[in-house]
Amino acid sequence: MDRHRIRNFCIIAHIDHGKSTLADRLLEYTGAVASREMQDQLLDDMELERARGITIKARAVSMPYRHQGTEYELNLIDTPGHVDFQYEVSRSLACCEGALLVVDAYQGVEAQTVANAYAALEHDLTIIPVVNKIDLKHARVEEVVEEMEHSLGIAPEEVIPVSAKAGIGIDRLLAAILDRIPPPEGDAAAPLQAMVFDSHYDAYRGAITYVRLRQGTLSRRDKIRYCGTNRTYEVLELGRFRPKQEACESLSSGQVGYIIGNIKSIADVHIGDTVVLANDQETPRLPGYQPPKRMVYCGLYPADGQDFAELRDALEKLSINDPSFEFAPETSDALGFGFRCGFLGLLHMEIVQQRLEQEADIDLVQTAPNVTYEITTRSGEVREIHRPQEVPDAGEIAEFRQPIVRVNFIVPTEYIGAIMKLCQERRGVTRGTEYLSTTRAMLTYDLPLAEVIYDLHDKLKSATRGYGTMDYELLGYEPADLVRMDVLVNGKRVDALSVICDRADAQRRGRAIVRKLKSEIDRHLFEVAVQAAIGSRVIARETVPAMRKNVTAKCYGGDITRKRKLWAKQREGKKRMKSIGKVDIPQKAFMAVLDTGRQSPDR
Amino acid sequence: MTPPAPRAAYIHVPFCHRRCGYCNFTVLAGHDERIDDYLRALEIELRGLGTPRPVDTLFIGGGTPTRLPLPHWARLLDLVARWFPLRPGGEWTVEGNPEDVSFERVSVAVERGVTRWSLGVQSFLPWKRGFLEREHTGETIDRAIESCRQSGAQVAVDLIFALPDETASDWHSDLDQLLARPVQHVSTYSLTLEKGTAFWSRWYKGLLQPLEEDRQAELYLATRRRLRAAGFQHYEISNFALPGCRCRHNETYWLCGQYDAAGPGAARFVGGVREVNHRSTTTWMRRLFAGDSPVAERETIGAELAARERLIFGLRRLEGIDVREFEEATGFRLDALAGPAIDEFLAAGFLEQSGTTLRLSEPGILVSDTLWPALLG
Ligand SMILES: Nc1nc2c(ncn2[C@@H]2O[C@H](COP(=O)(O)OP(=O)(O)O)[C@@H](O)[C@H]2O)c(=O)[nH]1
Ligand code: SF4
Repeated sequence: MDRHRIRNFCIIAHIDHGKSTLADRLLEYTGAVASREMQDQLLDDMELERARGITIKARAVSMPYRHQGTEYELNLIDTPGHVDFQYEVSRSLACCEGALLVVDAYQGVEAQTVANAYAALEHDLTIIPVVNKIDLKHARVEEVVEEMEHSLGIAPEEVIPVSAKAGIGIDRLLAAILDRIPPPEGDAAAPLQAMVFDSHYDAYRGAITYVRLRQGTLSRRDKIRYCGTNRTYEVLELGRFRPKQEACESLSSGQVGYIIGNIKSIADVHIGDTVVLANDQETPRLPGYQPPKRMVYCGLYPADGQDFAELRDALEKLSINDPSFEFAPETSDALGFGFRCGFLGLLHMEIVQQRLEQEADIDLVQTAPNVTYEITTRSGEVREIHRPQEVPDAGEIAEFRQPIVRVNFIVPTEYIGAIMKLCQERRGVTRGTEYLSTTRAMLTYDLPLAEVIYDLHDKLKSATRGYGTMDYELLGYEPADLVRMDVLVNGKRVDALSVICDRADAQRRGRAIVRKLKSEIDRHLFEVAVQAAIGSRVIARETVPAMRKNVTAKCYGGDITRKRKLWAKQREGKKRMKSIGKVDIPQKAFMAVLDTGRQSPDR
Repeated sequence: MTPPAPRAAYIHVPFCHRRCGYCNFTVLAGHDERIDDYLRALEIELRGLGTPRPVDTLFIGGGTPTRLPLPHWARLLDLVARWFPLRPGGEWTVEGNPEDVSFERVSVAVERGVTRWSLGVQSFLPWKRGFLEREHTGETIDRAIESCRQSGAQVAVDLIFALPDETASDWHSDLDQLLARPVQHVSTYSLTLEKGTAFWSRWYKGLLQPLEEDRQAELYLATRRRLRAAGFQHYEISNFALPGCRCRHNETYWLCGQYDAAGPGAARFVGGVREVNHRSTTTWMRRLFAGDSPVAERETIGAELAARERLIFGLRRLEGIDVREFEEATGFRLDALAGPAIDEFLAAGFLEQSGTTLRLSEPGILVSDTLWPALLG
């Protein structure tokens, strides 16, 4: 394929602004898929993604398109829309020359629109601004174009109005793709250099690598090398996505496709890696590769200790398809044997958990998630902290650092005050306010990631009646006055309930946690004291009074079996609870530490 | 060697006018037209015994046995007396709802050998009866008690306490009115929300708030205090009797003795096997009419389980157990069965031991349902 007839692009949009619908429409208009055989929203093929309306994993499709007598190849590379997958997004963007920036004609510019647009600009992509859903009765096309101009510096005359649903403006959009997006560079005769932007696992064929060729040509039977792992493979099959895998003899510079090469594990295919010919030691790796960075950790334990091996198998199975998720065995006094699991972010964590529950029928106890902290000890050693239990004694810590993120909020102007309050309570540092139009503004704050993951999104939604949106990017680590707060039940520390928090918040959070635990722990035959402590200093305490009465009654008609079975069931229930000393703690209680003790703003 | 035949029998009569909001018993509400079928099925089940089995105690419970019209009532009693003839000095209890317990009904029963009436009074207070959806009045209660007294039968009364919002003075008023009447036996139950009842779903939807635990405990202790002061013995978790007036039939259950049974949902314990008849009245009938066994569950009680049952139900009798006797009868050493749990409960003051007797203390009675699971092993 002559690279001048190739266009590589992606679609970036805030969730629900119509990315999937527009992709479907493009497939249909180019003839890549006949509309009657087209499944709804073909690119979003995982059920879970559909349920959440989020494209989690990047996919790609090659569309042959005839225009004025010339045959073109349009490669649409799908990008995940969520901040958890920022790195994956950046790799997809690196494979494109252009991006369709889609904005809903009614909703207007939202936080993800801005974040994604900036990411595209950073990759030097040509942006084709698109206003979608112009068929809506309440479409406010002009205002939205104005918002795009103010927030992103887009020239109004460049904006293409479309309705993905009704098929309005699609031809014009296709023409703009051919006209405005530059064809890829890179000599097909040069040595092979291909960028890995995604992969998936096939039970029969092993790991399948998605690549974009930067230069050179790749053919069947070629011997190739993955620079990251330095492993070599023979290309058994290669091809394009139309949108199903369709084998071909070779791919050349600028093209997008897949490689099958007897790769046993998906962990050997690193997103962002470079593929070269096996005997070529000269061609350099493409820049920008990063190992996946897990920002959120939590403990996952089988509710029934018996299920440990099953849980391990299930986690292994999941990681076959998702190398960005990591897990390692850990033990807790309170919960027994389980796993510390690392995720790209909170959404990623929820997705993995849901899959675990759907695919393996295991009852899970989850500990509250925490972000990755960094500590420099007095001896100068730098440690990553993935769980509160790893925090050394205060005396050993020279510096305690936490991840800081830059958050963009886009809200109707009347809610600016509410957002400022939310951020100030969370020790946010303001980085500016910009008016997108007379009614909407973008606020930028730097905030600790820990504050963002716990409840900021929910709080934003309730503070703005659902109208506010947010997005964030990691800035780096900064020192803070952090402490580990422990929870003691009848004097015994419950390791799985420890949290890391800012010293100034410890009192409030401690009180909230013990109050919550008091409501979760049933009365026992004795009094149960629940305390929160920093080191040996108790900062909050509640008491679960001893049980006063648990005696019922009638053993009617001599049905002794029924009564006995009831007690046997109670005994089993008790066994499933986790006990500290003699105190039974229900599974739900391990999430109690998420209660930050802050009032919702709307209450 | 065949074990001796049981000397106790229970007959279940499932009919009720309608199901009360707190009830999950085996009940057929509002289907009196099945009474004939019921009696026919019961006869088939009893005929299965082969020969009549003389017993020391008989108990006809429900449901509402007194729901049967008088002719059927007489047929029921005759049928039961034919297959389970009462030995001399035996105890024969029937349960009744006060509104059905007329002098005539009592006479029909006493003539056939009934010695004891257990009346589902539930409360002397109209508001409590209203809440419990019971239809009898104060007058019908007194008429029922008087009918029993005149015919020489003993009177046992059931009362329910700890309704939502029930105050101490409500309950004291119930106890006052009870003690003013010629009653020899009292069973008191705190209102429990059982799954599958209307009350349970009301509670689940947040429409019904059970009485707070501390107040329930106060009411329970008040019952114990007042009835004991009036000469009643608190002889089982929820049962009080004047001396010599315990329910011998129920004592058979608690001492893990053998008993036979008939009727839907009825449980029997014969030859080391516990059986429960099908709880659905219609299924029970259908099976009997088809010549099939009415039994739905059957469990052989091994030696260890038998010992544990005996331990728990023995402790629910407030006299407690005699450890030596227990060990001889069951062949198990108490330490081996439940040593650590018992030691823990003794140390915490929930159990007390004097000589060879082991029994619940007063604090232990109050939380006893929390203790039993640990004794099950
Ligand atoms: N009226 C109208 N609705 C649209 C249009 N495009 C998409 N939608 C609807 O907007 C919703 C979100 O679209 P979808 O493509 O799933 O958004 P995504 O989350 O960005 O992939 C769906 O209900 C679509 O049917 C359009 O042009 N007009
Ligand atoms: S009368 Fe008794 S058995 Fe019948 S429904 Fe009411 S409580 Fe249940």
